[in-house]
Amino acid sequence: MEPPNLYPVKLYVYDLSKGLARRLSPIMLGKQLEGIWHTSIVVHKDEFFFGSGGISSCPPGGTLLGPPDTVVDVGSTEVTEEIFLEYLSSLGESLFRGEAYNLFEHNCNTFSNEVAQFLTGRKIPSYITDLPSEVLSTAQTAPTTEVSSAPDGVSALGRSLWAITQLSSLKGPKLPKGI
Amino acid sequence: MARAREEAGDSQLVSGRESSSRIIRVSVKTPQDCQEFLLAENSSVLRFKKQISKYLHCDTDRLVLIFSGKILRDQDILSQRGILDGSTVHVVVRTRLKGSVCTGGLAGPTVHCTHRPEPPTSDSAGVLVRLGRLARTSPDLGDFFSQLVQLLTTAPESVVQFLEDPLIQGLANEKQGNGLHVPESSKSVQKRDPALKFPETFQKPGRQQEVLQEHKQRLEAPKAVPGGDNALRPGCSDIHQIMLSTLALLVASRGHISGSEMCRGEATNAHCSSDPSTTIPARLLAQEVSTGGVTQVKGILASQAISGCRPGILDLHLGSDFPFQENQQLVEKAPPVGHPRPSPSALCRALNILQQNPALLHQLATGSPLLHHMPLLPILTNPRALQALLQIEQGLQILSREVPELEPFLWDSAKPCGATGAPETRGRRQTHREDTSQHSLAYQHHSLANVQTALSLPLLNEGRYQQELEQLKALGFTNHDANLQALIATDRDIHAAIERLLGSPQA
Repeated sequence: MEPPNLYPVKLYVYDLSKGLARRLSPIMLGKQLEGIWHTSIVVHKDEFFFGSGGISSCPPGGTLLGPPDTVVDVGSTEVTEEIFLEYLSSLGESLFRGEAYNLFEHNCNTFSNEVAQFLTGRKIPSYITDLPSEVLSTAQTAPTTEVSSAPDGVSALGRSLWAITQLSSLKGPKLPKGI
Repeated sequence: MARAREEAGDSQLVSGRESSSRIIRVSVKTPQDCQEFLLAENSSVLRFKKQISKYLHCDTDRLVLIFSGKILRDQDILSQRGILDGSTVHVVVRTRLKGSVCTGGLAGPTVHCTHRPEPPTSDSAGVLVRLGRLARTSPDLGDFFSQLVQLLTTAPESVVQFLEDPLIQGLANEKQGNGLHVPESSKSVQKRDPALKFPETFQKPGRQQEVLQEHKQRLEAPKAVPGGDNALRPGCSDIHQIMLSTLALLVASRGHISGSEMCRGEATNAHCSSDPSTTIPARLLAQEVSTGGVTQVKGILASQAISGCRPGILDLHLGSDFPFQENQQLVEKAPPVGHPRPSPSALCRALNILQQNPALLHQLATGSPLLHHMPLLPILTNPRALQALLQIEQGLQILSREVPELEPFLWDSAKPCGATGAPETRGRRQTHREDTSQHSLAYQHHSLANVQTALSLPLLNEGRYQQELEQLKALGFTNHDANLQALIATDRDIHAAIERLLGSPQA
């Protein structure tokens, strides 16, 4: 039997704050955040990510964010593009519908983690998946008065995170209706 | 789980002769949920699949098990593949029988795409990426875009989204006197846009029918407005050209082409030079979906008009799959883009010029007397032509100011003064012209200031061309204005100017 092809799987990591989080987080949150991470999985020469519009894809580096800040080598996979796409469709109909998007609980990094495990059995670096809990945990400990009176107690940085992600770049091309 | 244990027991009996037959707990993860299974660690994958297929109620043939990035073959033994107690195995249930699954790679994406059943609704992500893959691998982008059509037809709301963008409305509303007609006209423009560009790609008759129906309805609406039909066409062509150009420029200005999932950069790059006319608009449209261009473009574009346009267009693309819907009927109606195909770099230059002259964009949209019967694209893509056009506009304005009685003549689209003649008479526009002439003049006045500051080349500086002008006069070209225009257009190349003067009278 011929050896199956191996396809590289990469994780593209973007800092949504473009460095601002690193500089401002100590002030605003009382702890150091290295960045506000948005991630996507690149495999089969395509970049896949999850946003409020559901699962989207584009050529690698083809989002508004431009080229990634970091590229993490997740590993290799035997999963062919065909199977992968079917998998993504199923995901998009179940766990990762557009409306399922939640900035803290079920976001792009959740998706990247899920897909990375599917493709390679490995998870993405924990500093990315731990980010929401990091941010949320600052709501109680922030020394400043930035803690908003928002119902969920999320700090101002959290709100601005929300604003960033809502505003622009995470909206990939929407999947056609019916997904 | 009792059933699973039974199965495990079976496998234990069967494989009892073999070495260890420890029962392990393996999690099976589907896109929908996660389920644990107990089975012997040295059972085969096939047995495992049977268990899973009972649980999922599907054929074992359709199951694909993936562990640690590896696809598990039926004859594999779980423990040999490293599946231990507590491991998680991923499962994908194929909607088609697995043909080339285990051999890896893409087995003829073109074939797959064309054999795919029509409705993309259940498989949208797959379709989108598949189409992209197709574009990447298919040498014929026309096929690709026909697949595109299929998807487009499923997302009509995207068109509405695009049209509701304030800038589009703004562009449209500049045409005073058209009022209601204008939003519809812009709608038709957008619909026509792809129609123009994809006439050859309309390959699926079934879809065609649907789309045609859809578009018929949409077009009936504007046409139902009195006079709407008349207002549509001239308005549409301008807006269409402008939108087309700006979109193309946007894409070209990115340098490298990064498209949406529908449009693979490599393929489109390769095809760009070979068939820019058809592929550019399609590409640019599709590439607008790629959000990559926005930041760059926003940086580039200072013009409010254009930048206002950008988020609109890009949001459109961002928020939708494809705003373009085809209507074959429109193909023959709309002005064909039969002129020499613009290269991306030319479009890029045109974009820069448009960027420098935000007023120009408005000007083009609002309509000067010249522009409605001239295809804009060749002008936009030829910087010298653009300059000539600006000069013409200036000249007309000056004339109308200096000699007020010329106004009706100037604004009569039949014969713009000083230009090389445009034979069309359009009575229906005349009233509109007169009404808006004041506004347009003031507007042009304002825009002129912008234009002059933006363009570094001296306008109306005949001194540069004095020598050439005299030469032309000596040769018998007595129309001083035409000579000047020709010289400007050809950048003082007297031979080209002569050819131009001898050739088409159209600017």
